[in-house]
This record gives sequence, C-alpha cells and structure tokens, in this order.
Amino acid sequence: MRALPRSLQGRLLVLVLGVVTAVWLGAAVLTWRDARHELDELLDGHLAQAAALLVVQQARELEDDRAADAPVLHKYAPKVAFQVFHEGRLALRSPNAPELPMAEAGRRFKAGFRTVEIGGVAWRVFAAHGAERDVQVYVSEQVASRGAILWAVLRSAVWPMLLALPLLALAAWWAIYGGMAPLRRLGRALAERRPQALQPVVLPDAPSEMQPLVAALNGLFERISGLMDAERRFTADAAHELRTPIAAIRAQAQVALGEADAAQRRHALEATLEGCDRATRLVEQMLTLSRLETGAAPSPERLDLGDVARQAAAEAAPRAIAREQVIEVSAGTPCPVMGDATLAGVLVRNLVDNAIRYSPERAKVKLSVSRTDGLVVLTVEDSGPGLAPETAARLGERFFRVVGTGASGSGLGWSIVRRIAQVHGARVNVAASGDLGGLQVAIEWPAAPA
Amino acid sequence: MRILLAEDDPLLGDGLRAGLRQAGFQVDWVRDGGAAERELRAEPYAAAVLDLGLPLKDGMAVLASIRRAGVKTPVLVLTARDAVPDRIRGLDLGADDYVVKPVDLHELAARLRALVRRAHGQPEDRLFALDVVLDPASRTVQRGGVPVTLPAREFDLLHALMLNAGRVLSREQLEQHLYSWGREVDSNAVEVHVHHLRRKLGNALIQTVRGVGYIVPREGMAP
Repeated sequence: MRALPRSLQGRLLVLVLGVVTAVWLGAAVLTWRDARHELDELLDGHLAQAAALLVVQQARELEDDRAADAPVLHKYAPKVAFQVFHEGRLALRSPNAPELPMAEAGRRFKAGFRTVEIGGVAWRVFAAHGAERDVQVYVSEQVASRGAILWAVLRSAVWPMLLALPLLALAAWWAIYGGMAPLRRLGRALAERRPQALQPVVLPDAPSEMQPLVAALNGLFERISGLMDAERRFTADAAHELRTPIAAIRAQAQVALGEADAAQRRHALEATLEGCDRATRLVEQMLTLSRLETGAAPSPERLDLGDVARQAAAEAAPRAIAREQVIEVSAGTPCPVMGDATLAGVLVRNLVDNAIRYSPERAKVKLSVSRTDGLVVLTVEDSGPGLAPETAARLGERFFRVVGTGASGSGLGWSIVRRIAQVHGARVNVAASGDLGGLQVAIEWPAAPA
Repeated sequence: MRILLAEDDPLLGDGLRAGLRQAGFQVDWVRDGGAAERELRAEPYAAAVLDLGLPLKDGMAVLASIRRAGVKTPVLVLTARDAVPDRIRGLDLGADDYVVKPVDLHELAARLRALVRRAHGQPEDRLFALDVVLDPASRTVQRGGVPVTLPAREFDLLHALMLNAGRVLSREQLEQHLYSWGREVDSNAVEVHVHHLRRKLGNALIQTVRGVGYIVPREGMAP
C-alpha cells in the first residue's frame, strides 16, 4: 500500500493538511487541558468561598435546630448543592442535596476537596467546619457541569477550525498548483520537443530547487548529443569509406567487361578481387570497432603476450614473405597479462599488419615481448619509412590515413589498437625504432600477478 | 580528349583510368590535391574528374582555388558524400557536375563528354563541319552519310579541331589534347594525322594556317 498519492501536488496537499490538522489537534488538546485546569481552580475557589460564607453565617444564625431547604434561586442551582450540619444534624440544605453528608460512606469528617458519587452522579465536594461550634458545611457541584463548560470552550475553539479546513485545503491546493507551474512548464517544454532535439532547455524563471534538475538534464542532453554526433560522424565516415572500395570494384569489373586485351582484362579482374578483399577487411574492422565502442566488455583471462605475438606473426608471415619481408619474434620469458585473448590477438595483428603494409619490400618487421617491473611490453618495429611526429599524433583518428604510402589501409586499425589498449589499461607509445630505423610501437600492458 | 583524374584510392584510380581510356579519353592520374591543382593550372585539360576526399588538399579547396585563378576547365566532382548541402557547396564552388560513388563508367564518360560539349557551347553531342558528322559517344565519323573508320588518334585530333571549330589550334595544343603523360610524341605526329584525315575526309575540312596551326571552319564560315 502506498502511503502518499503519486502526484506531487496531491502529496504536498496531504502533507500540508495533515500537518495543519495535527497542529490544530495538538492546540485543542493543550487548550482543553489548560482550560480544565483553570476551570477547576476557579470553581474549586468558588466552592471554598461559598463554604466559608456558609460556615460564618451558620455560626450566627442556626441557633434553632430545624432543618430547612434553601430556595432555588437560579437555573444553574440544581447543579450545585450544599448541606449544613449542626452538631451532627442536618441544619440546612439545598433542595437537591441528600440528607446524608456528601462524603464517602463510613468515613470520618475530613475538610477539603474530594469527588464523591451520590446517586450515580459525580459531585465535586468541598467540606469545611467551623472552629467553635460543631458546624459542618458541604458545598458541591456536579462534575458533569464542569465537563459541559469544558466542552463548550473546546467547541468554540474547534468549530472555526473545522469550518476553515476545507477553505484551507482549497487555498493550499491553489497555492501548490501555482508553485508547481515551473515544473509543468518544464514538462511541456520537454513534451513539445522533437525527438531529435538535443539543445539545452532554457527556463529563465526556474526556481532554484529546479536548477539542478535543469542543469542535469542539459548535461545529459549535451552528452547524448555528443554521442549522437560521434555516431553520425562514424556512420557518414563508414558509408564514405565503403563507397570507395565498392566504386573501385565496380569500375574494375566494368573495365574487365569492356577490355579486349587479355592481360588488361586479367589485371582488372585481379583488381576487382583485391577490391573485394579490401571491402571485406574494412567491414570487419568496422564491426570490431563498433563492438568495442558499444562497450562489449572484454572477458579477461590469463594469457601470455609472447604466445599472442608468435601467433600473430605466424598468421602474417605469408603476407610478409609475399613482399620478401623478414618477420621475427623475440619473446623468451613468460609474459603473463590479464586480457581478452581475442582482443589481444586483434591488437597485435593490427600492429603487425600495419608494419607489413607500410614498410617497403624486403623490409624487416620485429616483434618483441619483455617483462620489466610490473609491466609487460610488446614492441612491434619495422625498417619502414617511420612517421613524422605530427602524423604520429593523428594516429587513431578514425579513417585517418597516412598520405603518400601507396598502401590501402582502412584507416581504422589504429582506432582499434588504441581502443583495445584502453579497455585493458595498457598504454600505447609510438616512437622511432632504434634498431630498425622505422616505426616502433610499444604496448605497455600491466603484468598479471604471479 | 585529355582529362585529369584526381583520385587517391589506388584501386579506384586504376579502374577509372582504364575505364575512361576504354571510352576514348586520354587520362592523366594524380593522387593528391596539390598535384591536381598544379596540373589543372598548368595544362589545358578538356575536363577533370576530382575526388573530394583528396590528401594534402581537399577537393573543394582545389576547386575553389583553380576557379579563383581563372581556370575554366569543366570539373566533375566524384565523391562518396551525397548529402545535399555537400552537393550545393561543390556546385557553388565551381563544379560543373556532381557524381556520387560508385559510378557507372559509361555514365561517367557520357557526363564528361557532355561537360566538354557544354564548355564549347555545343548544344548537341554530335559535331558538324561541312559534310562531316562526328559522334563522340559512339566514336564514329560519317562523311556525307557514309561511315568513315578512323584510328583513335585521328579521331581524337578531329574531335579536338571540331570542338574548337572556327579557332586555330597550334601543334602543341593538339599534342596536349592527344597524349597523356609519358607517351613519346613524334615531332611530326600531328602533321601525319592531319594528312591521313584529309585523305579520308577531303582537303577542305582541315585547313592549315601557316606558322600557327590548323583550323576546322565553323558552320557558315567560308571554306
């Protein structure tokens, strides 16, 4: 069961009215207690005073021993009563007073206040006696009459409250509704937006309580907008990158169709196949990158980077040999790291691929894996042309290709390398190779605990 | 007709060059924006195919800069970006046509021919001079309704002269129309071709302006 309504308006209304009612009830209780106390004091005082008057008066007048009833003088009189006993006999009483003393049965006379039940009605009794003669005076008042006065006091306090409550509820509803206006405006502003609209929400008169909400919302819009921009750029770039190999395939196929010369036709057909291979590779690279960027979590396991390097080199060897390049691996000691075996393989393959692709024929490509304090460093270096520092800085931008290499890369390899390194907490360092003179790429991988 | 192809992708460039050669063009191929601009400023190409995503200098920048320099060569922009704002910008910058990859080679050749024709103020694809009709699309020539077979070089030479009917073309200009880079040109090749053309099409068609070059008379000009 829900304690409060779902709407903020209803919730505030319930809370406000609840608190107001509770405060009123508390005030009423306090008023009642206070009034009762004051009333008791006042009426007890009156009883005592009346008793004192009777005592003084009886001492002088009641020489004759006749019991008499005093006349009823006021409509309130039946609720009050008195008795005067002289030497143990009833000398005077009010018409509604009993003949026996208004005291607990069988008790000795005792001066002071007490509450006694007589004939099923509770009476407040004050008993007093004279000092010289044996005169006992009881003055009493129905307790119920005190209750009636109290109730009257309480009623006069509560009635206006009960009448005011609906008015207050209405006023509170109206005030809260007015106070909620900025929230409703925000809701409308958001509802009226087109789904693609990601510009910040501007609410100049938003109250300070709503500023964090609006700021957080705008921050979210900004982040989403950035993500979508990146996504859009990637899609556009990807379409662009795919169109070129497809255009090449088409052009080459058409050339082959129209070519009469057998050697030329063969060249065009081979170029068509090469175009297909390139498009395939591009699509694979794009899928890899897309999977990496949508945050498919790597599943880390213990693996030896030396093994990864040897495997990548073995896979790349035919291509290297085709270009008369020499590829070698030096990985002696075990170099365990925590990582995703597939992704680590993709990373190293990309580096080796780049080295082969961008180095001239008969170049040398060297992979080495070594272990130094807490790090496993995998280095891929080549004897190719290397990179200018400003070019090296742009590596990893999507679809950025180094100009004038004459080779046809996808422009995605570096994005993939950097991304895989990033998800594994590895660092990528690009430098000139000291041994071979070309490019040297070092991946510093945190070593797995022994 | 000699055209410049600016395309950085080796496979696509190779295919376009081969395909345009099949369609009868002489093709010079450059692979970056800097070279494209240099060549377009230096050589009187009949037309150019310009990829927008060129290294060193973006195709749009090349276009803007050659147009500023007053180069009037018709330019066909070849691009993978087909967004309308891109097209509009390309055309505003002085592109004469806009083709999105991948492109059909026959269409590309037809568009190039149309560009060249329009650049020479020709409303129709076929060219007329005296009783000779030249159709660049089918690469055929007729004289008085009878088909005449011409080798490629002779056809190209006649095409250049008929496109520029009424204007004198020098031997060097004709050589530039006929040969792409790296081809050996005999010093008297143009004379030899003109000689053959006169034999097949009559002496009145191509006239010699001594010390300057050759001219094909425009319609209505006295022969």
